[in-house]
Amino acid sequence: MLEIEAISRQFNGRSVLREVSLRLQPGEYVAIVGESGVGKSTLLNLIAGLDRPDGGRLALDGVDYGSLNEDALTHLRRDKLGFVFQAFHILPHLNLRQNVALPLWLQGVEGVAAETPAQQLLDAVGLGERGDSWPRELSGGEMQRVAIARALVHRPRLVLADEPTGNLDPANGARVLALLGERIREAGAIGILVTHSLEAAATADRVLRLSAEGLVG
Amino acid sequence: MNKRAFLLALAALPAWRALAAAPLGAARPVAPVTFAPVLPGRTLVFPRDHGAHPDFRTEWWYATGWLQLPDGSPVGFQTTFFRVRSGAGEGNPSSFAPRQLILAHAAIADPRLGRLRHDQRAARVLGGANAGSAGGAHYSSARTDVHLGDWSFRQEDDSGRRYRAEVSAESFSYALTLVAEAPPMLNGEGGFSRKAADPKHASYYYSRPQLKVSGTLGLDGRTLPVTGRAWLDHEWSSELLPEAAQGWDWIGINFDDGSALMAFRLRGREGQMPAAPGGVALAASQVSSGKKAKAGLAGGQAENSAEVSTAPQTGAQAHAEVHADTASQIQAETLWSAGTLRHADAAVEVLPPQAVAFTALRRWRSPRTGVDYPVEWQVRIGRRRLHLQPLIDDQELDSRRSTGALYWEGAVRVSEDGREIGRGYLEMTGYREKIKVG
Amino acid sequence: MSLAKVFLGSLARRRAATAFSFAAIVLGVSLGMAVQAVHEAALAEFGRGLRTMAGEADLQVVGGRVGFDESVYGLIAGQADVAAASPVIEFEARLAGRRETVQVVGADLFALARVTPALLPRPRAVDGKAPEPLAALADDAAFLGTAAQVALGVKPGEVLRVQAGVEVLPLRVLGDLPGMAENPRLVVMDIAAVQQRFERLGRLSRVDLRLREGVSPEAARSRLQALLPAGVLVEPPQAAENQAANLSRAYRVNLTLLAAMALVTGGFLVFSAQALSVVRRRTEFAFLRAIGLDRRRLFVWLLAEGALVGLAGGLVGAAAGYALASALLSVLGGDLGAGYFAGLTPQLHFQPEMTALYVALGVAAGVAGAWLPAREAATVSPARALKAGDEAALMQGRGHPLLGIVLLAASLAACAIPPFGELPLGGYLAVLLLLAGSILLLPLAAGALARHLPSGGAVPWRLALARLRAAPGHAVVAAAGVLTSVALAVAMAIMVTSFRDSVNEWLDHVLSADVYVRAGHQIGGAYLDEDLQQRILAQPGVAEVDFTRADSLRLQAGQVPVALIARPVIPDGRELALVGATQPGGGAEHLPDVWASEAVRDLYGWRTGQRVEVPLGGRRVAMHVAGIWRDYSRQTGTLMIDLTVYRQLTGDRLVNEAGIHLGPGGDAAAIVKTLLDSVPPGALEAALPGEIRAISLRIFDRTFAVTYLLEAVAVLIGLAGVAASFAALAAARRREFGMLRHLGLTRRQVGWMLAAEGALAAGVGVLGGLVAGGAIGLVLIEVVNRQSFHWSMDLHVPWGSLVVFAGGLVALAALAAVLAGRQAMRQEAVLAVREDW
Repeated sequence: MLEIEAISRQFNGRSVLREVSLRLQPGEYVAIVGESGVGKSTLLNLIAGLDRPDGGRLALDGVDYGSLNEDALTHLRRDKLGFVFQAFHILPHLNLRQNVALPLWLQGVEGVAAETPAQQLLDAVGLGERGDSWPRELSGGEMQRVAIARALVHRPRLVLADEPTGNLDPANGARVLALLGERIREAGAIGILVTHSLEAAATADRVLRLSAEGLVG
Repeated sequence: MNKRAFLLALAALPAWRALAAAPLGAARPVAPVTFAPVLPGRTLVFPRDHGAHPDFRTEWWYATGWLQLPDGSPVGFQTTFFRVRSGAGEGNPSSFAPRQLILAHAAIADPRLGRLRHDQRAARVLGGANAGSAGGAHYSSARTDVHLGDWSFRQEDDSGRRYRAEVSAESFSYALTLVAEAPPMLNGEGGFSRKAADPKHASYYYSRPQLKVSGTLGLDGRTLPVTGRAWLDHEWSSELLPEAAQGWDWIGINFDDGSALMAFRLRGREGQMPAAPGGVALAASQVSSGKKAKAGLAGGQAENSAEVSTAPQTGAQAHAEVHADTASQIQAETLWSAGTLRHADAAVEVLPPQAVAFTALRRWRSPRTGVDYPVEWQVRIGRRRLHLQPLIDDQELDSRRSTGALYWEGAVRVSEDGREIGRGYLEMTGYREKIKVG
Repeated sequence: MSLAKVFLGSLARRRAATAFSFAAIVLGVSLGMAVQAVHEAALAEFGRGLRTMAGEADLQVVGGRVGFDESVYGLIAGQADVAAASPVIEFEARLAGRRETVQVVGADLFALARVTPALLPRPRAVDGKAPEPLAALADDAAFLGTAAQVALGVKPGEVLRVQAGVEVLPLRVLGDLPGMAENPRLVVMDIAAVQQRFERLGRLSRVDLRLREGVSPEAARSRLQALLPAGVLVEPPQAAENQAANLSRAYRVNLTLLAAMALVTGGFLVFSAQALSVVRRRTEFAFLRAIGLDRRRLFVWLLAEGALVGLAGGLVGAAAGYALASALLSVLGGDLGAGYFAGLTPQLHFQPEMTALYVALGVAAGVAGAWLPAREAATVSPARALKAGDEAALMQGRGHPLLGIVLLAASLAACAIPPFGELPLGGYLAVLLLLAGSILLLPLAAGALARHLPSGGAVPWRLALARLRAAPGHAVVAAAGVLTSVALAVAMAIMVTSFRDSVNEWLDHVLSADVYVRAGHQIGGAYLDEDLQQRILAQPGVAEVDFTRADSLRLQAGQVPVALIARPVIPDGRELALVGATQPGGGAEHLPDVWASEAVRDLYGWRTGQRVEVPLGGRRVAMHVAGIWRDYSRQTGTLMIDLTVYRQLTGDRLVNEAGIHLGPGGDAAAIVKTLLDSVPPGALEAALPGEIRAISLRIFDRTFAVTYLLEAVAVLIGLAGVAASFAALAAARRREFGMLRHLGLTRRQVGWMLAAEGALAAGVGVLGGLVAGGAIGLVLIEVVNRQSFHWSMDLHVPWGSLVVFAGGLVALAALAAVLAGRQAMRQEAVLAVREDW
């Protein structure tokens, strides 16, 4: 369970987030939409533990972020979070299976123990035949499918997707979003999709709008 | 010390087996050395002739005898100092000029050990700025006084009746005083001792039998007082041995009644002489060297000639067919023999060649070298027949890995008609042959 | 370990930068390794030779070059402590009519067996004839090991002709030396024969001693020393080995310094490569941090990248070092041509510890180079870096100017550290601190340069300058490598120029005569006897002759002997290359004057005006230090006294060399011809001062040729660093170039901009390098050389060459930047820009 209780964040005295609260149960897949500069990325960074709130409380499965130091937050991300980025961030010098296995490697899982789940997820995103291919051979949509596989390979409790279709054409974007929703639901994880596109947001179970007033469902 | 090294040293150097005869002329054509000749008719003058005679090629002082340990058990001892005029360095003003060399051998025959303990040294006589060094080798022409480092043999009184022998070797040491009760015994014709039919092969030679010995013997870290009787030979020459000589048998006996006997014979070839194994250079170093140059030098030279020219069958071999009683024993041809018998009343009897005869009775084979030595002898002196039995069979002095010398030098008991009548030393050289394998 | 793919795999993506870092480390490791391996091999061989020669000796009695009186032997041999003493006379003798020398050892063949059995000769049969007994004692009998027989082309039974004085001595080879079979130039003879035939009567070089069992060498040493005349010392046999190591150490140290510099350069190249790569991979790292890679592991893995480059460079460098060493050994010999180990044929052995050390140094250079970039990468906030387009943030800081200044100050202090066992460790530390300090100050310098350069002019120049002002990080990274290599090159250039000019001036002082005549090699047994001296003086046209006697003395136990030069000295010493004030005239006590070289001043603390004791002719002679002079030919120290004084004190009338001053109408060629014709061919050598000078300078240049090569390589690597850094950034700047092209810049203008950027980056490095190099050059001259060679020299800066060098380097850097950026420029600008849309 993800608990966000009245978190705030200021930059140079300017308040970006003010007392935002949200509570999500496992299996819930929500989209957060909002205007540019309203703090979507800030909120996402806070949820990811990449940034710390000036006030309020964040907890995942009962673990309070505030009680975790930098390294512990990193390990929280490693073990319980999955990420899908707008810029894919597929490492060019690893093949697809290796890219997908990367989160497992970070957990110290090596060899077959890492490759088997990676291959399973590649199968699940429809790239099962391409495990030995290199990223440069992929289209943008395929890249993002690899990223989705990577985000889920280590069975995270929470998957964060930041504008996953920002770099994709509409057709590909739709396919990717459908796949993302499907995989998150299947995994029973909490899913948060951050986007400025209402169309994209519609693929989630519910849409929340972030504004100066906070999150509105 | 590196034994092989010493082998090389001596092989390179004096090869003293051969000193007595081998000419050095080839070394440098300029200024060949003329050694003083040994001529008959010279009267030995004492105490002057106790000292060294550096004009001659070789000279030695050779003391052997029986010692009694405090518990009554006997041991034999040997002290030998050779002086060699090398022929090299004659005109060289260097204090290291190798004109005169001193070589020394020392041994103890210990029945409890069953074989000899022995050691040897060699050095050049230093001159110039280093003449007086206690570290070098030295001899005196005025009296018996020769030393090599801390080994020495010295006359202690002016008249030459007391001698002192001091040796400190790796496995033993001794310091002995030897006292003569009678004047020197001149061998041959008033000290002119012939070694062959040709009178040019001769030496000046006197002996000091019946020396009373007292002193100390160091063995295995203990120093024991000892007493005993000894024999001293002093002999010098320039051209001692004939070509044909193969080996040498010598005895010096102190009889219990106060009389004394010196006798020797030169042997020709014995049986078949196989070619020396190991090539010429090796052989050169392995040659058995005699004790006094008599035997040593004789043996050395004879062997040398045998090895260098393996083929030539000298005249000696043709005659070397005197067979002994036992089939396995081969008696060698005798090229020359002689002796001196001093009676208890001091009367001296010079024994001509025909009055001396050596007959081997029992042979002993050295387990180290495979050489057969006749260790038990019958020696005929005139009509007397003396029976020689060794203190221990193994008195072989095998220093081929050090000085290159291989000979038998040992204490013997002498009996006549089954009764022990004296003790002395027997020396045998030139027996190396037929080293059997397997 | 799968993470290795994530990081180390990226090295393969930036091959050029990795290859340059790798090459620099290979260079540094292989050079250091080669110098060390060659030296170790030579020393081991030398030591082995000495040990074999010393055999089982517990102590050795030693003196100067002409040895000591032979009565020392008798004195020592008779001592109760001594079990056996082996007298030895030893020297180098020239082969008749040839340039080579052999080592003649005269020994007492009887004493060898108990002390140094390895020297024992073995007579061999010749033509089937057994060796003559005692023949080894003959005064023309010689023994050579099998290697020497092969090297000198003689067999037992044949004759070896050796120079003795001006005469030729035929030696009969009678056999070999089983214990010295591999020594290619050893001749063993009987000691008396050597003393007589080589005119060394009454002299010994050495007495090897074996002590009685149970006698401690230390106790015996002090007891024996008390008996010996002045200048004759008792030493343990290993002393000679240590002294040999000392002798060549300074030379080795300087070569090792060069290797170390190459290694440091390699470290900086790793630094620039890693710094650039970290910038390019910022988002990658941010992503990895976001999905759970902690800071520490990121840091460690980035260090591992550097370590891997270092390890590869270290391993390849070690292998290359061995290959280089074996090539050097076969071409130049164990002293790399410097003449310390004449005649040795050292064998190269694999030395695991040393190899491991050099590989570790390579790794250390890689890790050190990767350290700062890794730290920087690990501290970047992933949330911000995840947003692309932040690449300009390359080392934005002002550097660490304060730390830089502290390091520079510390380097000054390090110069004051005294040598550590003759090793100028303080000097090295100062060099290192200077380099590190300069690099830390580099951003400051870049900023200052950018501010002071005119900002007008053509657009490409303005853009380049703007970039330097706004983002000096890139320039600094590229400049760090340039600074290091330029500093190295400039320092060596200044040092070598100063040295060469000083040697040149010194030669003016030394070569004052019109013709020089000498017998054979100066080291060896060659000399001019009195008869020949008279004949030289009697030549028509000879105005004056400076006869020179060369000897050596032992001033102190455990030290290498100092050279003694006896020749006519003008009382005020003005013909010497003097250093500092003089006080000729013998002082208050009217003692004989002695002129000490700088090494004697440094090693023995002698000062002008001091009363000293010089062991001459077996006595301690009180003398007055009249002054200090420069002697570039002997680094272990030289004393010069007047020949007349020397002859009075020693009675030695021989000389080694004659410097002939011509009178009116004197004809050098005629005099030389008459003299040479009067002796057997090859016995005398004559040389004109010009020839000697030319030969001396040629030797000097050859010695330093290797340093020029190293400098060139270092500079090339520095340039390669510039190229690599530009190539790396060019890829990242494709969009920038595309945008500029869109705005209307021609392709040529973009090229010019890159050239200007390269020139500016290199210019910063070159300027820094010039300054740092000048300072390092001073440290080399004033600290490193003074401490290791005891040679002072006057500072000569080769301004012209430096200006040309600096200008050339900047131009080359500009070219390298353009070449590196060409790929990016060639991209269709439109395409590059569209990527962003």
